[in-house]
Amino acid sequence: MSTCPRCQAAEEKIRAEHKGLNAQGELVWTIFHCNACEFTWRDSEPASTIDYNKREAFFRVDPEKPYPVIMPPAQYKK
Amino acid sequence: MSTDKKPLSAKARAVGERIGSLRDFLEFLEENGQCITWTDEIMPEPDVRNIAVAAGRDSMNGPAVIFNNIAGYPGKKLVLGVHGSFTNLALLLGHPKGTTIKELFYDIISRWGDDKPLLDFIEPDAAPVNENRLTDNFNLYDLLPLYRINEYDGGFYIGKANVVSRDPRDPDNFGKQNVGIYRIQVQAPGEFTLLSVPAHDMGRHIMAAEQDNVPLKIAVMLGNHPAMCMFAATPVGYDESEFAYASQMMGSPLRLTKSNNGMDILADSEMIIEAELMNGVRSFEGPFGEFPGSYSGVRKIPRFKVTAISHRNDPIFENIYIGRGWTEHDTLIGLNTSAPIYAQLTKDFPEVVAVNALYQHGLTGIISVKNRFAGFAKSVAMRALGTPHGTMYLKNLIMVDDDVDPFDLNEVMWALSTRTRAEDTIVIPNMPMIPIDPAAEIAGKGHRLIIDATSFMPPDKLGSDSKIVTPPAGPEIDEIAKVIQLLQNGGQL
Repeated sequence: MSTCPRCQAAEEKIRAEHKGLNAQGELVWTIFHCNACEFTWRDSEPASTIDYNKREAFFRVDPEKPYPVIMPPAQYKK
Repeated sequence: MSTDKKPLSAKARAVGERIGSLRDFLEFLEENGQCITWTDEIMPEPDVRNIAVAAGRDSMNGPAVIFNNIAGYPGKKLVLGVHGSFTNLALLLGHPKGTTIKELFYDIISRWGDDKPLLDFIEPDAAPVNENRLTDNFNLYDLLPLYRINEYDGGFYIGKANVVSRDPRDPDNFGKQNVGIYRIQVQAPGEFTLLSVPAHDMGRHIMAAEQDNVPLKIAVMLGNHPAMCMFAATPVGYDESEFAYASQMMGSPLRLTKSNNGMDILADSEMIIEAELMNGVRSFEGPFGEFPGSYSGVRKIPRFKVTAISHRNDPIFENIYIGRGWTEHDTLIGLNTSAPIYAQLTKDFPEVVAVNALYQHGLTGIISVKNRFAGFAKSVAMRALGTPHGTMYLKNLIMVDDDVDPFDLNEVMWALSTRTRAEDTIVIPNMPMIPIDPAAEIAGKGHRLIIDATSFMPPDKLGSDSKIVTPPAGPEIDEIAKVIQLLQNGGQL
C-alpha cells in the first residue's frame, strides 16, 4: 500500500486496521485507514474505489481545504 | 399522541406475541417465503451491494437476504432487506401477502400512539444481548462484517443502528430519551462518527452535552425488533418515547433492560455498542450515498469512542442498502413518515383522508382531503408545511380530493391532469430544508411547491359544466381485484 486512494497522503499517514482471514487462517484482505482524510478501504475492493487514478475525480479530498463542520462547538460555547 | 384505536385482529395479536426480536422475525419471514439465505461465497465489495440492490427491486414482495459466507468473515452473519418490501411490513402487522399500501397505512394509523405503552423491564443478567460482554480491545472490523455500501462512500457504514441517548439536562426523563437511526461511519477499531444535526433529537443532546461539558453516553443497538427500527426512523415528538410507540403498534410488550452506561435498551437485540461522545472533536466523514439518491459530501462531524460491547451468541449484523430509490430505506420509513403527518393534520382538519409521504422521506407528499370550501386544500397544505416533519422535508406537496387514492399514482396523475390549473400552483421561496436535498441552491434552504389538484367548488365557477364518470369503486371492487389476482396466480376460489 503506497498512498491514500482518496487524498494521496503518504504511506506514513496510513494505518492497517484489520486483516480478514478465511476459516483456514489465511489472509483474504486487509483494511486500511488514512489519518489525513479518514478514508477507509479494503485492498480487495474494485479499482474504481481504491485506485486514485480510476476513482472519479469529483470524490477526491484535500484535507487542507475547509469542509463544512456539523454543529461547530465554537458556535454555541457559553 | 393517540388516534382512535380498533382492537387488533387475532392474527395481528398472535404475530405480535410471537415476534420479540430480529431472530424471531427472520424465522417468520422465512416461513412465509420472504427471507432467503445467500450461501455462495461472496466478496464484501461489490457483491453485498449488488445482491442488496437486486433483492430490493421489488418494493412490494422483495425478500430479506441473509449472508453467511462472506470472504474474510468466516462464521459471521449479515442480513439486509428486513424491511425491504411492503409484504414484509404486512407480515409484521399480521396481514397476508397482497395487502395494499393503503390498507397498511390505515392499519398503522389505527395503532398509532404512545398512550398505552407495553414495556417489560428485565434484569441485565437475564437479557440475551448480554450473553457476551467486551470491556476492552474493541475491534468493530472484526465483530461486524462491515463493507462499503456505495462505491464512493468515505468508509464502512452502519446504516440501521437504533441509537439511544438521554437528554443531558433531563437525564431521568424516559420520554426525552431518544431512539433514532443515524448514519455511523467506523473510523477506527473502537471509534466512529455519527451524523446528527440540530433539528434531530440527538443533535440536541450532543449540543447540550458539549455546551455543559458533560459526558454524553449512548447505546448503539444493532439487530433489533423490527418495530423498533420503524419507530427509530419516525419523527415523533421530542418528549415522546419511541419504545412506547413501537410496543403499542405491535400490541405486545417489548422487553427492555438497562445498558451498563444507563440507557434503556432492547433486551433481545443482537448487539449493543456502548459509547461516549468525544466532546468538541470533529472528524472527516462521508461522502455517503443518501436517501435522495445522491451522495452527501464530506463534512466534519462528532466522533464517539466505544466503551463496552455486549452481544448475543453468533450475532447477526443487520444493515440496509440506501441510495437511489427504491430502496429499503423508503419502505422502512415511508408509512411511518406519513402517519404522524396525518395524525397531526387531522387534529385540526378532520377532512384529511390520507397522507402519502413515501417518496424520499417525504420530499414529495400527496395529501387527499375533502374540500370544506373553495381553496381549503391550500390551507391544509400550509398546515402540513408547519408539522415537525414538514418543516424540513415536505418540499413538493400535491393536494388531491378525497375521491383520489394518494397511494395510487395513476389516480394522482389523473387528478393532476384534470383538476390543476397553473395558478393553483404555489411556490414559497427560501424555506428551511434538509441540507442533503440535491436540488438546493443553498444547502439547508429550499423552495416549497404546492400543487392544488383538488376540484373546483363555488364560488369558483370553473369546471361547473363537467361531470365526473363514477366507475364502481370501494371495498367490494377491492375484493374483486384480489380475487382476480388470486385466480391469476393459480389460486382457487
